[in-house]
Parts: sequence; structure tokens; C-alpha cells
Amino acid sequence: MRAGETLRLLFRGPTAIVAAAVLAVLVLTAVLGERLAPHDATGTDVSSRLQAPSGDHWFGTDELGRDVLSRVILGAEVSLRVGAVAVGISLVAGVLIGLLAGYYGRWVDDVLMRLSDVLFAFPAMLMAIAVLAILGPGSTNAMIAIGIVYTPIFARITRASVLSVREEVYVKAARSAGAGDLRIIGRHVLPNVTAPIIVQTSISLAFAILSEAALSFVGLGTQPPDPSWGRMLAEGRGFVEQAWWMAVFPGLAIFVTVLAFNVLGDALRDVLDPRQRQAMATSGATR
Amino acid sequence: MGADMNRGKVRGHTVGHVAALAVIALVSAGCGGGDDVDLDDPAGGEGGGDAADGGNGGGSDGGTLVAAISAQPDQFDPHKTQAYASFQVLENVYDTLVVPDAEGEFQPSLATEWTTSDDGLTWTFTLREAVTFHDGSAFDSADVVYSYNRIINEQLANAYRFASVASIDAPDPQTVAITLTTPTPALLDNIGGFKGMAIIPEGSAEATDLATTAVGTGPFTLEDVGANGVTLSRYDDYWGDPALVDGVEFQYVSEPAAALTALRSGDVHWTDNVPPQDIEGLQDDDQVELGVTPSVDYWYLAMNQARPPFDNRDFRRGVAFGIDRDEVTEAARFGAATTNQTAIPEQSRWYHEYAPFEHDPDQATQLIEQTAAQSPQPMGLMVTDEYPETVQAAQVIQAQLAEVGVEVGIEQEAFATWLDRQAAGDYDAFLLGWLGNLDPFGFYHAQHVCEGTSNFQGYCNPEVDELLNQAAAETDQDARKALYDQAAELIVDDVSYLYLYNPDVVQAWVPGLEGYEVRADKAINFETVRLPE
Repeated sequence: MRAGETLRLLFRGPTAIVAAAVLAVLVLTAVLGERLAPHDATGTDVSSRLQAPSGDHWFGTDELGRDVLSRVILGAEVSLRVGAVAVGISLVAGVLIGLLAGYYGRWVDDVLMRLSDVLFAFPAMLMAIAVLAILGPGSTNAMIAIGIVYTPIFARITRASVLSVREEVYVKAARSAGAGDLRIIGRHVLPNVTAPIIVQTSISLAFAILSEAALSFVGLGTQPPDPSWGRMLAEGRGFVEQAWWMAVFPGLAIFVTVLAFNVLGDALRDVLDPRQRQAMATSGATR
Repeated sequence: MGADMNRGKVRGHTVGHVAALAVIALVSAGCGGGDDVDLDDPAGGEGGGDAADGGNGGGSDGGTLVAAISAQPDQFDPHKTQAYASFQVLENVYDTLVVPDAEGEFQPSLATEWTTSDDGLTWTFTLREAVTFHDGSAFDSADVVYSYNRIINEQLANAYRFASVASIDAPDPQTVAITLTTPTPALLDNIGGFKGMAIIPEGSAEATDLATTAVGTGPFTLEDVGANGVTLSRYDDYWGDPALVDGVEFQYVSEPAAALTALRSGDVHWTDNVPPQDIEGLQDDDQVELGVTPSVDYWYLAMNQARPPFDNRDFRRGVAFGIDRDEVTEAARFGAATTNQTAIPEQSRWYHEYAPFEHDPDQATQLIEQTAAQSPQPMGLMVTDEYPETVQAAQVIQAQLAEVGVEVGIEQEAFATWLDRQAAGDYDAFLLGWLGNLDPFGFYHAQHVCEGTSNFQGYCNPEVDELLNQAAAETDQDARKALYDQAAELIVDDVSYLYLYNPDVVQAWVPGLEGYEVRADKAINFETVRLPE
């Protein structure tokens, strides 16, 4: 399957385009960060606390007089960075484990998969909280914790695909031509198992951002005064009656981001699934 | 008698320990409480309370008061618990020999009068007659001796209150004599400051499980202990005027918004779960009666004097000049507090007006520049979301100190971890508060003498030790106050603690509830409360 055609199919529907556009805006926001924020996101000014949204403070101010819009903008960077690094960790570790387990099989498979079963058996949040209890709170440790939690998913998905690819004729051909294991895994197996991994990456980004928000909500993720959507939500909870904007705007930011990643993930799955792809291509041809 | 005795008392536990124990208790109650804990839902309606006092034989037209408290009591053994939630309940169930009134003056309770020998070493208490425990047994001096000896012999949490006690004797059933090794002007506070010094019947600790049952002499009996709350019934043979309500039902409501909603809808009659930011809105709310009064609690910042540069007095003074208390107080308490540079609030007769630190960034910068190890000087500031006001205060302090050359790193910990780190000395600085002190001994002694049990910051000034030890044994109240005033000035000047503010007590109840009084020491007593019609 060619990348160009995949993208063309992906962006045939408006939902995927919207999702991708939203994510593009988010990434831009995260990159520009402080240059975009109208106010200092950590500068406190108690005299202007809990102000309702206005021309000066579009999203209002929080209980310490900080601009909520600026904090939501800087929070994007935190969320995306934690999400990306965490998924990066689980992607690299999980795919590696999955490739080795699926390709070599037997005891390698047993050891690696039973280990990831153990990890998998814990509820994700409980596991992340346990890891943070050991490492200590903080956004770097949150990345590691989330990365560890999502590693088994990538390992399983990769292994499942490798199991079938490993029996393909071209793998057998490469082996009989004298290719080493590393070359076979790198050149023949890996490229043919990417589709489900790509889909999983997109969906995992949504979950990782949600996990970061949840960990920060309970105080284990990003530490004050750095802005994080989850943390802002937790702080806003005590002020819902006086200042709805403190919780609503970071909540909306989480909602939109997670939705965009999920929609994109769904669209990717439709496009990358061979049967679905066939159907889409056919319906396009007959139209 | 009482009038020239000192007032005051130590409710000497850090907020910290209070909450930590409550958490542990939650866990153990969940695991092991099977036998004695009635898991039936006591929140099943106010009818539960009415049914309970049918068995008590009293009239049942007073109704059941429903009180929402924010935390679950860890246990009901008054000598062992340190949780404020437990004392909220026990206040209504147990009695002490003497009891502080709302002004902190000690009044007769189970003791009707007391005298002190000329050398100040023997205190003789005359006990009230015709007092019975909730199990029907009569109260006499043997119960007092038993209760106090239990605390001393088992080295329970409050044993330190008897540090100067040589012996406790019962010359006759209506008399108790306490012999001291040194004069102890704070004795009334030590034995009556709060229900942690309650009188239990002789032998009851061996005969029953005091953690889940209660045999007191107070206006209410402990009936049901469940997962959602506690039910009390009026004790009709109470020695004082019987309570006006038939019973009290304490419900655990940890979310302030839920407690207020329940109050507005009439599901509960009273709550102390009112965050300071809600005060302004509630003042105009005619569905809610709000009680706000200055408390005897104080909140402070402490720096680790075992670590440079925080061991340097000038550095600490720099930090003290760099903090704008008004802004910190406003941020943390929404105005429901009074800034203070010493520990004792201005309503107390032990208050000493002393405020040497005016917010002065220039002087702060200068002092810090001269003494800091690097520029800017990093300082980890340990806070806990168990007390959200520490997190809010820390963020304002961070912004203020950034301008004078200190880079504050906020370290938010779970409270158990927080306590471990405090005990291990593993911190640069922390924010916390002390609750419920009445006597200056409780405000200053254990926190600031060199070997003090609560001196986690590692402060040691021999001059302060001398003054505090002298004050602890001084029986002349004016001379005693003068000694504490001097000690407090040194403590403030040296920045052993950097005192921030005294918060207000905030409680709310339904309109028409009569006879309830908000107290500075946060004792919660429903004895004289009458429900609205």
C-alpha cells in the first residue's frame, strides 16, 4: 500500500480532515506556546482573581488571578509533549517486544508475553499511579509511567501481526536466500506490520493525554504552578459555583484533543484495514 | 479556683498527624471492623435516629440533628485517636474533669472545684456527684485514676501532657489529687483541653473495644457506627441538662459542594465542610446560616535548618522580608483569615503584638544575595493537596520569592509521603498548620525547644529554651506571659517558623437552628442545639 493513496483515502471524508486540522492547530499552539499566550501563565495577581471571561481575559482568571486562556495554551504543550513521549516509549518498547516474541516464538514468546500479561492485568490508571508512587510525582515521571502502562498493548498488537507475516512466502524466501534474522525482521516483517501499529498510536495518543490529565488531576502529574489541563480541572472543581470557566475551558481542551485523536485513529483504521480499504476503493470507483 | 488558673490548652497534634491517622483508620476499618461495626446504612433516613432512641426511653419530639462532617473518624478511643473527625463525635459523648468555654477559660465539668497547694505541686479536684456512665455504672475517683494511668502507662499519644505529673491518687471516691514534679500552670489545659483526656470507666479498656464503642458520661451515647456515618442518642441520665434533640447523626461528606447542596435541600442541618471561597456567596444565601469566627489555628512556613543556606538566620530573614503575607492570606483563605507574624491569634489573652517583617523586597534581595549558595537560590517547598490552601499559598510565595532571588520548586506530595519526608528531614521547606492550641505552651514549646518533639525544622536557640522552660513552670500569669512574649519575639526574629496567618472557623447550618455556637477551638457541641420547627 502506498502512502499517497492512504492519505488520499484518509482525507476523503470531512471528519478526518476536521480532526487533522484540529490537531494541526493544537500542535501549532503547543509550539508557539508563550508567544501566543496573551498573559503570563504562572504570574499570580490575587487582586484580579476569579474574573469572568472578558475582552482582556477571554477565558477568565483563576483563583490566583492567572489568565485561564494562557494556561490552556501552555497546557497544550504539556499535554502533547507528555502524550507524545509516553506513546513514543510504549511504541518503541512494545514493538520491539512484539517483534521478538512473534518472530522467535517458543520460550522467547512465552517469557515476553507473560510479562506483558502481568502488566496488562493491572488497570491502567492503577498501574500508572503505582509507578508514580515509586518514581515520585512530576510530568517526566508521568511520561514514563504512561509509557510503561501502554507498552503491553503495542507488544500484543505487533506480535499478532508478526505471527502471520512470519509465515508469508516472502519471509521464507528471504530466509532461504540466506538473510539473517535482523535483516528479515527489519526489512520484511516490520514494514508489513505497521498498519495496526499506526492506528494504535493515534488511539494511544488520545488515551495518553487523558491519562496525563487524570494523573495531574489527582496531583501526581504536572506540578504546580505549571499549567496542565488535568490540574486546572482539579483546581476548578472547588470553584464551579463561583467560576465555571476555570473547569470548563481546560475540560473542553481535553475533550476536543482526545476526540480529534480518536476520530483520526478510527479513520486510519478504516483506511488501513485491507478489507475496508477494498470497499472504500470500490465504492469510490463506482461512484 | 478556676478564675485565676491559666486558660489555654494544648491540642498538640499537627494537622498532619491528624489526617494521616484518619487515612490509616479508613483502611483498617474497611478490612477488619466486621464484628462491632454495623454496616447498615445509617444514612437511610432520619427515621434511623428516631428508632434508635426509642430504646433509650426519652421523649422523641426533639428530632434528630443531621451533621455533615468532611472526614471519617478513624476510631472512637478518645485516648488513642488523633483525628479531628473523631473528636467532632467524641466531644458529644465524653467528658473531662474541666472543660474550656468558648473563650478558652476552664470551667467545671466532671470536677466541680479544684485547689492548688501553695508550692504549686499538688492539685486537688472535687468530683461531681451522681454522675453515671452510659452503661449505668457510677462515676468516681477510681475512674479518673484509671483513665489517666492508662494514658501514662501505655504511653499513648497524649502521655506528654502528664510529663510533670508524679502521681495521681484517689484519697476518697469524690476526690482526686494530682502531684507534680514541677509547678505546671498549664495543668488544666493538659487534662481538660480536649476530649483526648476523657474519663472512661475503670476497666473499660479491657472489657470492651473502645475503638468501636464508647462508654462516656456526656450528653449523647454512641449508638451505631457505620460506613456512612455515626448515630448518637440523647443520654437521659446525663448529669447536666439533657440535650434538646433526640439524637445526632453524623454523615461523612467529603465533597464541599455535596455538603452544601444537602444543607440547602434540608437533608443535613449542619456542616463544617465549607471552603473559604464559598463564604462570600453564602452570606447572601437565605437558605444557609453561616458561622465564621477566628480560630486558634495557625499556618506557617518552616525551613530546614540542617541544610545550607536555610541554616543561615539572615537567609531566613531575607525570605521573611520577601513574603507578602496579605497576598498569601488572601490567596489561600479568600480573606477568611487574619495575617499574623506570631502563632497566637489576637483574640487570645496570650496574644503579643509583634510584626517585625514588613514586606520589603529590597531588603530581602540584599539579605538573600549575601547568604545564598547560588543565584537564584533553589528552594523546594513541600505542600500537600490534603490541605489545598498550602498548594495555593505556595504558588503565591513562589511568585513573590522569585523577585528576591529564590527559585521555589513546589513539591506536592501525598500526605503520608509528606509526613515521612518531614520526619526524615528530607526537605528544604514546607507549609503546614497547627490546630487547636489554647495555651502558649502548646503554641511554642514542643515546636521550638532544641529537643522538641515537633521541632522538625531543627531550630536551636539556648536563650529560647531557657525562656520556654522557665515559662512552662511560672505560676504567675503575667510573668508567664512576659516570658512567652520574649520567647516569641526571638522565635519570630530567628524565623524558626515563618508565621503566616490564623484562619477563621467556617461552619454552616440551616436557618432556625438554635443554640449552636461556633468556637475558636473548633469543638463541636450539640448539647444545647434545638432544631428548627
